Amino acid sequence: MSPHQFDIQLVAIIVAASCSIPGAFLVLRRMSMMADAISHSILLGIILVFFLVRDLSSPLLIIGAAASGILAISLIEAVNRSRLVKKDASIGIVFPFLFSVAVILLSKYARNVHIDTHSVLLGELAFAPFNRFIISGTDIGPKSAYIMGSIFLLNLLFVSFFYKELKVSTFDESFASSIGFRPRLIHYLLMAVVSVTCVGAFDAVGSILVIALIVIPPCCAYLLTDSLSKMIFLSVVFGITAAVSGFWVANLIDVNIAGSMASLCGLFFLAVFLFAPKRGFLAIIREKRRQKMAFAEASLLVSLYNQEMGKTVKNHPDSREMFQSGDLISKVVGFLKRKGEIAVKGEKIFLTEKGREKARITMENQ
Amino acid sequence: MSGIEKNPLIPAIRVTDLTVAYGDKTVLWDIDLEIPRGSMVAVVGPNGAGKTTLIKSIQGLIPRVAGVVSIHGKSYQKQRKEVSYVPQRGSVDWDFPTSVVDTVKMGSYGDLGWIRRPGRKEHEKALGALEKVDMLEFSNRQISQLSGGQQQRVFLARALVQSASVYLLDEPFQGVDATTEKAIVRILKELVAGGKTVLSVHHDLNTVSEYYERIAILNVGLVASGRVDEVFNSENLMKAYGGKTSFFPERKSTRRAV
Repeated sequence: MSPHQFDIQLVAIIVAASCSIPGAFLVLRRMSMMADAISHSILLGIILVFFLVRDLSSPLLIIGAAASGILAISLIEAVNRSRLVKKDASIGIVFPFLFSVAVILLSKYARNVHIDTHSVLLGELAFAPFNRFIISGTDIGPKSAYIMGSIFLLNLLFVSFFYKELKVSTFDESFASSIGFRPRLIHYLLMAVVSVTCVGAFDAVGSILVIALIVIPPCCAYLLTDSLSKMIFLSVVFGITAAVSGFWVANLIDVNIAGSMASLCGLFFLAVFLFAPKRGFLAIIREKRRQKMAFAEASLLVSLYNQEMGKTVKNHPDSREMFQSGDLISKVVGFLKRKGEIAVKGEKIFLTEKGREKARITMENQ
Repeated sequence: MSGIEKNPLIPAIRVTDLTVAYGDKTVLWDIDLEIPRGSMVAVVGPNGAGKTTLIKSIQGLIPRVAGVVSIHGKSYQKQRKEVSYVPQRGSVDWDFPTSVVDTVKMGSYGDLGWIRRPGRKEHEKALGALEKVDMLEFSNRQISQLSGGQQQRVFLARALVQSASVYLLDEPFQGVDATTEKAIVRILKELVAGGKTVLSVHHDLNTVSEYYERIAILNVGLVASGRVDEVFNSENLMKAYGGKTSFFPERKSTRRAV
């Protein structure tokens, strides 16, 4: 691994980790699309401040960007509060507008500057290490690693300090305000943190791919754990893994690094979505099938038991429906026979003592 | 200064001239209501009568157009810690990644204030509250695995942790099983016996006389309030519900339908 490759991965890891932390709360608050809105709207702030200071490395750019992120959120909420459009539509109205104004300004007045539309959308992670941080002649690493590192620290501190407040206001907003926390304030603080994160990440991975890093790792984590703190931790792990593996895939097949990172996020999600042990798609199908089988077994045992008792009880309507497919009944019969709960003699099916006991228990539990 | 006023004549909750509106739609109109200390009070009324709005605006969760609310004689802001709130169970996402005991612990967040984290003491308190609602064995369960009745018990346990003197509940019996309903009523009656005040939005007119001693009948304006045996009658219910109820307290031995 060359020092250049190391630096790229370092920046990518910090970006991914920084995005995943606030991302977990965005996903839980059903505000994933806010990441989309913010990451696009910050461009306007960056450009307007750039016109003022004419310096792409000015820290004022971050403030301008964060301010336009907050502006986007306030506009979305204002449109939303009017109750004239629905929430998702108000997001769709506000941020493309702010973004398109920025694109127009960019193409009209800033053609010769480093921020061209291509790098805005996709970022230039490969160039990130060229911009070095030099203190009294000594090169101490890529500048973006320091900027992003500070943002990561900010996110970590924010979530650790306000963990309890974020948790309760995300879970139950009206309860949170009844006990004296201010969910609106927490909301805006979180949005400010997301804005700042987007600004930092935007330089490295671009405005579209930053959404992948904010939304997808928390979604993977959500399907794998029952605890909020573990969900945040797992999000960071997923983000970092996607960043590193994305880098090497890009290296291998020679494609855009940020694109490769985001694609791997998507692939990770697909894998988790399918194979998550409890909430995964396959696990749910398996569980449904198991329940169906268990119900069919119980129905058969109980109806045999009732026949034995000499009751002329009609088949339970559900069980009759169940047994209409000849396939299922033969499966159930075979299964119960193997378990030794029924015995088959000729055409007739009999309960064994074990099956009788089980039927009795089933009926008692009804 | 928060706390309970020594003078027993000062009501637990006093609402004066309360008016709330969403846009130009009046939801609550000029409500005057006094809830005596140590009473168990039902808030009933048809859909859209403003029952939830009343509970929320007492706590300032919804801006008031006009009106004053006092808790034990002082403003709600000063008495926040004396008030415990149980929102509607359906108002939150039960798939949120957290356990039963952590949810109950949220009841102690108000006392902790900003930034301070719950510790050993808060954990014990949460377990104690879970024991009261008979949910101790579920303390480490993920909240998405609970039934409706169990969810409601968790919400009640969270309110118990707050150790307040006034309890505001929004439809605590909505969609819960009969066992849970009985358990909740028992706990609420214990609270009242201990001098606490309970104000609960209630739907089932059949059980009003059995559960509550006082009632507030609401339909945007306050139709009537007072002791159940004095104001819970067909005349007042007709005023609130119009023809939309067939429940008449006087004839409840023959008709049970609502």
